[in-house]
Formats: sequence, C-alpha cells, structure tokens
Amino acid sequence: MRRETGKIYGRDAFIAHISGKLGRKEPLLHAPERLFRGVPDFYEKIRLDESGKVNLFAESWTALGGNVRVVKREEAKEAIGAYVLKVCAEFKVNRAVRWDHAQLDSLDLDDSLAGAGVEVVLWRENGESEVREAEPDTAEDSGSVKQGKGTAAGGMAGRAAELEEAADVPTANGGGTNRSRREPLLQAAEQCRMGIVWPDYAIANTGTLVLLAQGGRGRSVSLLPEILVAVFRSDQLVTRMGEVFERIKADDSQTNELPSSINFITGPSRSADIENDLTIGVHGPGNVHAIIIE
Amino acid sequence: MSAAPGKHGAAVPDETQLIGSGLKKRTETALSDEFLRNAVAFTTDKLRGGRLNAMSEFGNWEQWRERGRAIREHTIRHLDYYLAEFSDNVAKAGGNVYFCRTAEDAVKTFLDIAERRKAKLVAKGKSMVSEEIHLNRHLEERGIQAIETDLGEYILQLAKETPSHLIIPAIHKNKRQIADLFAQEAGEPFPPETQALAAYAKRKLRNYFLEADIGLTGCNFGVAETGSITLVSNEGNARMVSTIPKVHVVVMGMERLVPTLDDLEVMLNLLPRSATGQKLTTYVSLITGPKREGDWDGPEELHVIILDNGRSAQLGDPVFQEVLHCIRCAACLNVCPVYRHVGGHTYGSVYSGPIGAVLTPLLQQDMKEAGQLAYASSLCGACYEACPVKIPLHDMLVHLRHRKVRMGLTPAAERAAFKLYRTAFGNVKLYRFAAKAAYYLQKPLLRKGAIRSAPGPMSGWTRSRFFPMKPKRSFRERWAELQRQLERERTREQTEAGGETR
Repeated sequence: MRRETGKIYGRDAFIAHISGKLGRKEPLLHAPERLFRGVPDFYEKIRLDESGKVNLFAESWTALGGNVRVVKREEAKEAIGAYVLKVCAEFKVNRAVRWDHAQLDSLDLDDSLAGAGVEVVLWRENGESEVREAEPDTAEDSGSVKQGKGTAAGGMAGRAAELEEAADVPTANGGGTNRSRREPLLQAAEQCRMGIVWPDYAIANTGTLVLLAQGGRGRSVSLLPEILVAVFRSDQLVTRMGEVFERIKADDSQTNELPSSINFITGPSRSADIENDLTIGVHGPGNVHAIIIE
Repeated sequence: MSAAPGKHGAAVPDETQLIGSGLKKRTETALSDEFLRNAVAFTTDKLRGGRLNAMSEFGNWEQWRERGRAIREHTIRHLDYYLAEFSDNVAKAGGNVYFCRTAEDAVKTFLDIAERRKAKLVAKGKSMVSEEIHLNRHLEERGIQAIETDLGEYILQLAKETPSHLIIPAIHKNKRQIADLFAQEAGEPFPPETQALAAYAKRKLRNYFLEADIGLTGCNFGVAETGSITLVSNEGNARMVSTIPKVHVVVMGMERLVPTLDDLEVMLNLLPRSATGQKLTTYVSLITGPKREGDWDGPEELHVIILDNGRSAQLGDPVFQEVLHCIRCAACLNVCPVYRHVGGHTYGSVYSGPIGAVLTPLLQQDMKEAGQLAYASSLCGACYEACPVKIPLHDMLVHLRHRKVRMGLTPAAERAAFKLYRTAFGNVKLYRFAAKAAYYLQKPLLRKGAIRSAPGPMSGWTRSRFFPMKPKRSFRERWAELQRQLERERTREQTEAGGETR
C-alpha cells in the first residue's frame, strides 16, 4: 500500500478569513518569530543520573498503582521469565500477545510461557495462525475477555469469523487491502489477557511508557488485554517528556516524520465517572507491570 | 445563529430550554436538588484539591502559567500560519483535512464521509465539539448509530442527557440512577456498585469498538510542525476508537493548535494538573496520519474536520480574542461559587461554568438569550486565578454585560434604575439628598433593622436575603465626626503632656 498525500478542502477562503480578522491583508506565509518555545528554562535544565531516573520512575509508576521490577542485566532472561510466569499464574492467563520485537525475542519468553501452557500470539502477519491450539477456555478465566456472542472455543481465525458473523451490528466491509489479513490478528489479540511490549522510551518524572507504533509493534497490544507487561533497559529512561521528542526528532531527521502513533502510557486505565469513585481498568489494561533491566 | 432549540433533542422549545429565559427556572431546580448540590460540591472540591496539590508539588506554577499563556497567545495571533502548516502536515502524513465555517458544514462533511463508507455504527470518544454541533442528533436522523464510549458520556447517552461538567460529564448522577439505566439497557438488575457497573460498561462497549465503522474523537492539541492529533484520556476509549475502526474522524475547533512538540510538552504539563491534579493522564496519543505500510492495526483513513462556528468572530477583538486560548481543563468550573451550587445543566448549553458563560454567547453570537449567562457569576475572579493560561474570564463577563446594555437588551426597569443611579451618583448635592430621602423612604419597610420583604422589582433580592437598612448617618458624616473627635483628643493629650514636663 503506497501512501498517498491527503486532500485539503476549503482551506484558502477559511484561512483568508482568519488573516483578515487578525488584521492581515494576506495570510502569513513565513514562520512568525518567537522569543521562546517549549518549557521554561529551569525545567529544561533538570537532569538526573540513571539510577535517579530508575528510582523516580519506580516511585511515580507505583504511586499510580503499577508494579515495578528491576532486574540485573546478567540475570535478565531468567528473572523476567520467572516474573511473567508468576503474573500469568496469579491471574490465570492462558494466552498472551506480544510485540514482534528483537529485544523481546532475545528474552526467550515464548518458550518459558509455552512450557507453562500459556500460548503467545505474535503481533505480525499470520501471527495468530502460528499459535498452537489452546487449552479450551475454562469459564473462570475467560470471564473477563468474553464478548457476549461469538466467543466460543475454536481456532483463532474461526473465532474471529464467528464474531464477525454473530455481531449485533452490521459491518460495512469496504476498502482496505490488508484489512482482512489484519482482522484475525486483531481478534486474536482481543482474546489475550496479557500484552507484552518493549517501550521505546520511559519517562521518569511522570512514570510514563512511550510506545512508537510500527509494524510488529502494534498499538492494540498495549491496549486490548487487561494486563500490560513492559520490559525496557534503564538507559531508555529520560527525565522528562521533552527529551523523548528530541530523540524521536533526531532519529527521524531524514524522513522528518513521526510514527503514525505514539502512545504515552502512565499507569493503569482509570475512570472517576461513577460518583467520582476511582475505577481501574475501564477500557485499557488495569494491571500494569514495568520491568527495568539495569 | 440564534439560541437554537433542541439542546436536549426536543423539537419545540419550552422556556426552560432557552439559555437566558430559562436560567432562573433551571437555577431553582438545581438549587432544590440536594443530591446534585452535594455531588457537584464533593467532586469539584476533590478536583480543586487535586489541582492545588499538583501545583504546589510541581513548583513554579506562575512561571508555567505565564509560559502557557504566552504560547496560546502566540498561536492564536498567528493562527492563519499555524492552520496552514498543520493542515499541510496532516495531508503529508496521509490524512484529509476539511475546513468548515459552520456547524452545518461540519455535520455535512461528517455525513458525507459516513455515507461513502456506508457506516452504520460510529464509536465516539469524548468530543465537546461534536456536542456543540449536535452531531449525534444528525446521525440518528440518518439512521446511523452513534455510541459514546467515555464511561460518563455513555451513562448520559443512556439517560438522554447532556454533560454537566467538562471532565466528569455525569457528575450529577448517582450509582443508583446509573444502575437503573444499565438495568434497563441490559434487561437484568444491577447492584449500585461502581466495579460492577464499570465492568458492564467495559464489556458492552468492547463490542462497539470492534464493530464500529468509524471512530470519532475530538482533539486536545493539534501539533502544527508535525500534523499530529493529540488525544488525552484516562480510560483508554480515545485510543480504542482511534485504533480499531477502519476510519478515524477527528472533529476539532480551529483554535486547538500548538506550534511545536516542545510547546505540546508545556500544555501536557498544564492540562492534566489543572483538570484532575494528575501529573499526566493515563493515555496521551499522538496520531500522525493513518496507519502506515506494514502496520497491522490503526485506521486506514484519517479525516480531520476543523471547525470555526463563531470562533473567528473573536479574532481581532481586543477583549475576547483570549477566550480562544482556553484548553478546556475545567479548572474554572471547579472553583466557581456559582457552578459549584447549580452544576452544569443550569447553564443550558454544552459549555458550562465561567468559560461557558463567556464562550456560549460569543460562539452563538447571541447576546439576548445566551448573553444572560454573563450574569451567572459573582465576578469574584476565582476562575482567572485557576486558569492555567490566565484567561481573564471575570473581566470578560463584565464586558459581556456591558455589551448587553449597549445593545439595549436589558429590561426597561433596570435601565431606568441605572439611569437614576448614574444621575444621583454623578452629583454631590443630589447624592446627599437621595441618601437622606432613602433613609426616610425605607422606614415603612423595615423589620428588625433590615428590609425583609421588599415590594415590586426589589422583591427578587429580598426573596433570598435581607436588604440591610440604610443608617441615619452616612459613613462620610461619621468619618468627619471621628476626625473631629480625634483632633480634640490630640489637643488635649498635648496640653496634658506639656503640663507634666514642666
């Protein structure tokens, strides 16, 4: 799918009207001069060393109700495998979806998870069909992913098709060349209770994961499941949000274009909409884990 | 545009639905609703407390505020440039941009997109602009189902009501009422427990996310230099509707821009702290164009509808241009003594509280009905103190009142009274005479040192409070006497002191 430039409708008259209102005969064509931009100077100067950042991140993340585990580089593989398995056991997770990411590959998580009977859906084309057939759902642990109609046991693709068919609402199925291929993957991820990602950055002072979407790094992996596990190295931590923008701009200096979706995730999904009671895990994951490799 | 009826979906406007004419009636209803008053006071207290904590913890708040104000001012002053830059960059990333002067244009644009995609179901993230243009009603007329996915908005949709707070839309509903609404929807009873209710909404809405043909969101900040749409949410519904459906449509006010990502960082520090006291909301998404080649999720199409709808009328206005600086944090609602007593519905329009009292008459360009909202304020200035971008809302409210008077829209009796007032206060002799006369004229009305029940036009005042008695001697007279007395004492002291030393 080659990307096309989008179209712009009704712009000239609209902007000419605004210029007129602002007292200009012609729309402004050159960037206006600025005496300042971005955050105040004192804030920009704040710098923390790596352990300072790890501590601050851990403090912020746990204050929000998130879990933090710091592991040493030498023991990362074993420690992370054990931790993820522990979470799976605790919440009776039997299916997890993870980013198709080299750093996650190197942790050999899939094998240890498979050993414990947890199937792993990889976020890539046909990721769902590589999955070994799952143990049939037990009523107990499928409760929270059950979607009303059409979630009976069966192969992933079959389940997706059923959902499509049995849905309450008719779906217009037009356009989109790889829609049909992406659909089963989305439906498969929907059936997973745990999502595993490798964030691109993490921000210490707010306790925030930064995820750049691209190919195998799907947006849905950090969104659809109720448990989120994020693994990253301590050198991926920055102190404040602005440093993330600096790094992204530096990385994309050739294309001068941001990824299609950047997600900042700060703790578990929450709502205070019912009588101002804090509710955790309304639409996104309510149970969030950050594993930092030092 | 006039104060259009149908804010609540009704075809025939009854008086309580007119923004100005119904204001008193709605105020009385709200004031007599004990639950509403307690709920609004409790929640706004909590939000206000959160904001104060976040501010003191963050430090240097005034510097941040000033920076926020300056960025907004710069953006609005150069809005033509930044809109051009923003739309260029959205298009470069593969999104379509539609500039719409009126609500009708925006609705039509959306309906065209929906028709082209043969859409039957639209999943909506929170969008005040879509409320402003009454999009749901138009979709319904076309047989397109629109589902609100923000938990609070979903509750209100089931109740067929409008939001009463910018951040906590269902601030006025209690668990029992919500349980009843959900029970009706599900056909089975629900316990009035937050967890159970939220779990039901989550299950129910998940299906809508997966099946929606179009995801609709607002836009908290558009970043001009990258063409990114910034979405801020705590629940994750904004991420859902901008990730899963094939088509993502953004409806945004034309002023909702920042020049650069650096400036976005400032706004993202100000907005959550001012709104809920959070350092950052749980989710912030920057969306730049539709999904790219090789992406397995994300929308295939991105459409950005940019709306004027009365906003441009404020540009170039020496007083009101600044209202476009607003970032919709609702901090002014939480501190407003009026809002805290009457809640959002009393304002009779989509935007409530001090910002609503200013914005509604300006956007609707209607001083007669909507302009009445300028009086729903005590002019205490708490809104300005709380505003993270320093909009002088209290000054604007005075200017709106001025405008209403200039247009001859105030009642004849009020005009006559103020004319009299001006004449009396503009002339010393007349003033003294009037003050004396008032003392004697009030006498038949006095009970225990105050007017407790006044006749005619003054009864509006005495219905809810006493009018203090005009004392026999004025402050001026007493002050002059006090001066004389002090002078006498000083002379005496001097004489006495002089006597001793000798």
